Amino acid sequence: MNIPSLLQKMHEEKTLSAKQLNYLLDIHKKKLFSVHQELRFSFYAGILLVIAGLGLTIKQYFAQLGDIAIIGSLTAGSLASFIYCFAKGNSYSHKEVASPNIAFDYILFFGCTLYSMDIAYSETQFHVLGNLWNNYLLASFVLFLFLAYRYDNRVVLSLALSTLAAWFGFTVTESRFSFQEYHRLYAIAYSCLTLLIGIFLYRLAVKKHFFDIYLNFATHFLFVALLSGVIHYKLFSLYFLCFLAACVILVLYSLRTKRFLYMLYAIIYGYIGISIVGLDIIRRNTFLVLTYFIVTSLAVIVLIFSLSRKFKENA
Amino acid sequence: MKFCLYTSEQEENIFTRKKAKTWRRSGLITEQQLRIMEECTNPGVSQTNVFFRLLFFVFTCVCASAIIAFVLWLANFNNRVGEATTLIFFSITFYFLAEYLIRNRFFYRYGIEEALSIASMTSLVIGCGLLMDNWRIDNQLAVIIICLLLAISAFWIYLRFGFLYSILISIIALCIIPFQLSLPATGERLFLLFILFLILLISLIFDKPEIADFQKEKTTIIQACLLAAIYVTINLRIFDLAKLYFRDIGINQQPYAGFPPYLYWISYLLTFLIPIGGLYWGIKSRRRMIINVSLLAAFVTLSTNKDYLGLKHSAWDPAIMGLLLIALSILIKRWLTQGPNKTRDGFTAENILKPESHGINLADIGAALTPGFIESQQPVAPTEKFFEGGKSGGGGSSRDF
Repeated sequence: MNIPSLLQKMHEEKTLSAKQLNYLLDIHKKKLFSVHQELRFSFYAGILLVIAGLGLTIKQYFAQLGDIAIIGSLTAGSLASFIYCFAKGNSYSHKEVASPNIAFDYILFFGCTLYSMDIAYSETQFHVLGNLWNNYLLASFVLFLFLAYRYDNRVVLSLALSTLAAWFGFTVTESRFSFQEYHRLYAIAYSCLTLLIGIFLYRLAVKKHFFDIYLNFATHFLFVALLSGVIHYKLFSLYFLCFLAACVILVLYSLRTKRFLYMLYAIIYGYIGISIVGLDIIRRNTFLVLTYFIVTSLAVIVLIFSLSRKFKENA
Repeated sequence: MKFCLYTSEQEENIFTRKKAKTWRRSGLITEQQLRIMEECTNPGVSQTNVFFRLLFFVFTCVCASAIIAFVLWLANFNNRVGEATTLIFFSITFYFLAEYLIRNRFFYRYGIEEALSIASMTSLVIGCGLLMDNWRIDNQLAVIIICLLLAISAFWIYLRFGFLYSILISIIALCIIPFQLSLPATGERLFLLFILFLILLISLIFDKPEIADFQKEKTTIIQACLLAAIYVTINLRIFDLAKLYFRDIGINQQPYAGFPPYLYWISYLLTFLIPIGGLYWGIKSRRRMIINVSLLAAFVTLSTNKDYLGLKHSAWDPAIMGLLLIALSILIKRWLTQGPNKTRDGFTAENILKPESHGINLADIGAALTPGFIESQQPVAPTEKFFEGGKSGGGGSSRDF
């Protein structure tokens, strides 16, 4: 049945009001066409491009521009963004608050990024805190976390959590991927801390909708750390036990909340981890390796199939 | 003649259900109304969520590849013909298994049947490749035959199963052919454009107003992809931009990108005309994908403008482009909001239909990568030179202890 005939039928059966019928038909026939998502995207892309352009210009021309001009303009830009947000922002609520306008979220993000650039530039040039420069990151994390909660901004919360990760020593600019023992432990500590903050605020019913962001950050950091431990220590290690426990917990959480993104994470990470250990035991026996992949992939298919059926029945 | 394993009614019902869910998510209908809509549009197929679909797809691919590898290893063929025959045998098996799952288990975008059909197509192409290698067919000819075979098999899968990505695979396979004909660069591009325009023309012919909504959506996506492919073929400086992104700033631009000057300037003109034309077409026919692709093409046109004119890129170019995007967004938003009922000719900046949320989105990921970018863009502080400024000269009397 196509949309117009379904809507018409429902209207005739009096299960759909005339107002709803006309509105939905207008949307369906594209007489009403929203470009909201496109405008949001172009605004966000614009902000990212401005940040990229500023970063590149400062890197290339910092000697010609001078410290005062750079720090002054970055400070002014960031202050202007924050003042705009303080002036225009809606009042705080523990629940989800809609942005006052399409650009608001990204202006706040822009302000936070300019602030980060300002601090990073000042520290790189003047070494004010010397070896303690890392504390800037912690202070930035606190500020961003506050702003994210005050203005209900998911993008700034992501920025806050990645700033915290940077404080723990993780960056995405490393040209060579290496995961030493201390990286593992820091990553585990980071994910536990992130998860604890997320759970704590969730339990307090403060911006419950933010919990997914915490969980995503925590999940990836934890699994990458544990996987690297499994690669290094294989079967007989605490890493493998923790890895299995983490997979089981994530699967249970996914089943309980019916958020299947976490099931995807648990199964993919779990399969990789178990395969690393399994293939290490099998070693170079081609017969066993190929049989392993056939049997395990079939087992996973059967498992997911039964789960998908179960959820369909429950629904 | 109908090739598809699903009826039009089934596909239309699935499409309607999808729209109904979006309306519910956006608060336009009640839960009760959604239930009524779902009762009226039972497609009679088995579906699953996107995450399970992805898992099914990945693990079926792993399983299919492992089975083929296992049989090849067990058989231990000493010739290409044996390997090729095995692959073709599996190709046929996987194909009929996919058909069986749809006919008997009523799978619809379940992941398993998709992986089986892709595995079938891949093993057929590899099997035929091995056969051609065995028969010592000229490499260039072999690649052309393989591309044709891939295009035909992918197109058949699209017709039979309706997987949109398989028609895109088919188009990509066809697009490789002009580069195997030892033509000059101009000939290659013109032949490629001929193929793309031909496919676009065919899709426009079949794109009639009376076709079902689900088909309209599919056609729009195909046309948007073709528009993007035509644009990429026409823009002769697009790869220079890619090189710039990978920091290959030292590249010396070839004059006229290695093409005759008249073609170069025609292509320059077309890089402006295609986005404008696409935007006009998209706005007139209200096709979101066409509008988005045209806007993206316009963005690339502005980014490659300096390359076309032989000018050097500046560090602040992205910032100017960003400011332009922001200004345009604000202007369009304001213009739309000031219209009657916050609309202009049906276009509105209001958030009517909310997209599905899975907990984290691209904007969040972009923000998470920002600290890394900021760190990478920090200039190296000039180190104090010890022997400058007379600090060490004269016993270094001016330097503090």
